Amino acid sequence: MLEWVRFILFCVLLFLAACSLFMSVLGVNRFRFSLNRLHAASINDTLGILCIVLACAVRSGLNALTLKFLLVYLFMLITCPLSSHLISLLVYRSDENLTREAELWKK
Amino acid sequence: MKKPISALKRFLEEGSEPLDIEMQSELDYTPAPEEARRGENHPTEEPGHIKNRRTANVLYTVSSVVLCALMIFILVYNVSGLPSFGGADTLIDSEVGRFYIENGLEDTGATNIITPIILSYRGFDTLGESHVLFIALCSVMLLLRFAPQDASSALRAYAIEEDEPQDDDILKGFGHVLLPLVFVFGLYIIFNGNLSPGGGFSGGAVLGAGFIMYLVIYGHDAAYKFFNYKTMKLVSMTALVSYSLFKGYHFITGYNGWESVFSNGTVGTIFSGGMLLYLNVFVGAVVSVTMYTLFVLFRRGDF
Repeated sequence: MLEWVRFILFCVLLFLAACSLFMSVLGVNRFRFSLNRLHAASINDTLGILCIVLACAVRSGLNALTLKFLLVYLFMLITCPLSSHLISLLVYRSDENLTREAELWKK
Repeated sequence: MKKPISALKRFLEEGSEPLDIEMQSELDYTPAPEEARRGENHPTEEPGHIKNRRTANVLYTVSSVVLCALMIFILVYNVSGLPSFGGADTLIDSEVGRFYIENGLEDTGATNIITPIILSYRGFDTLGESHVLFIALCSVMLLLRFAPQDASSALRAYAIEEDEPQDDDILKGFGHVLLPLVFVFGLYIIFNGNLSPGGGFSGGAVLGAGFIMYLVIYGHDAAYKFFNYKTMKLVSMTALVSYSLFKGYHFITGYNGWESVFSNGTVGTIFSGGMLLYLNVFVGAVVSVTMYTLFVLFRRGDF
């Protein structure tokens, strides 16, 4: 019985991850402006990876592997927003038509 | 005659012309009300070049789908022919693999079989590979390196610092957290090459990535203090020469059946496996320095 509950939880988590990643792919392909596409990609990335890591942890049970999954997620949690931050910084510095698409915050 | 450097300067100052203006305007094209009305009354023929482009698009889509399907079929078909993973009959044909598995630990004293295979059983190959890496570095340097007294050094600085993040707090916080971990991990992989998965190449790649991250995060001035052209020459030359000397000693003693100074030691400790530890350190040094130097050369053409 418990095995079945775990399996179903695993399936649900993987399905959520697939949905989230599919949404981000959709966003990247459908949006036109680079910051919008970045937004779609980065937010859903973090969520999708969380779901995948949780699914793997549920599937493997509570052992030393769980800690490794946690470390992987921690690494992703640090690096994914950072890379999006750098890309958005590059867009901000190099896009000359930025004000046409986005409203800039002024002091 | 136009100097190439002035062309580069003009490119950097004005930027390139956007190439796909026409295409973009066609994508965004919405018929004006008058035109639309005219179109309803008198349906006109499409212009010829748009028609051609549509045909080309359809052709492109169809051929890419067919190619993808073909590729997937070939790959899946080949995978289905592989022997099963961990099957009992998988290794029967492989004489060499069985020899390594049975005698590797006894011959070299390393618990990680891969490292003695690449550094000891196939030592010639890896020795040549390290030198190939160095030769590749030399060729990239010939192509990309600016002379220090070049008149365009101000131009280079302008080109780089315009687009790179400077004094970014988020980036620096990330560096404080992650860089020590990356360096320790790289050193761990190198020094435990004879005990656990890893070795000179992978550990050197991790170290090189750490150096590159250091340069990107803390900027050129901080990185230049500990890594410049002299450091590059010193480290890679020392590592390559000592690698060759160690390997030559290994070849001579092995060929003549002499007793080597480097004993196998206690299996499972770091100083086991003969000279594998030192070879791993040399290979790691060469790989990390090469990676960092390639990045630096592509970034600004000089250290």
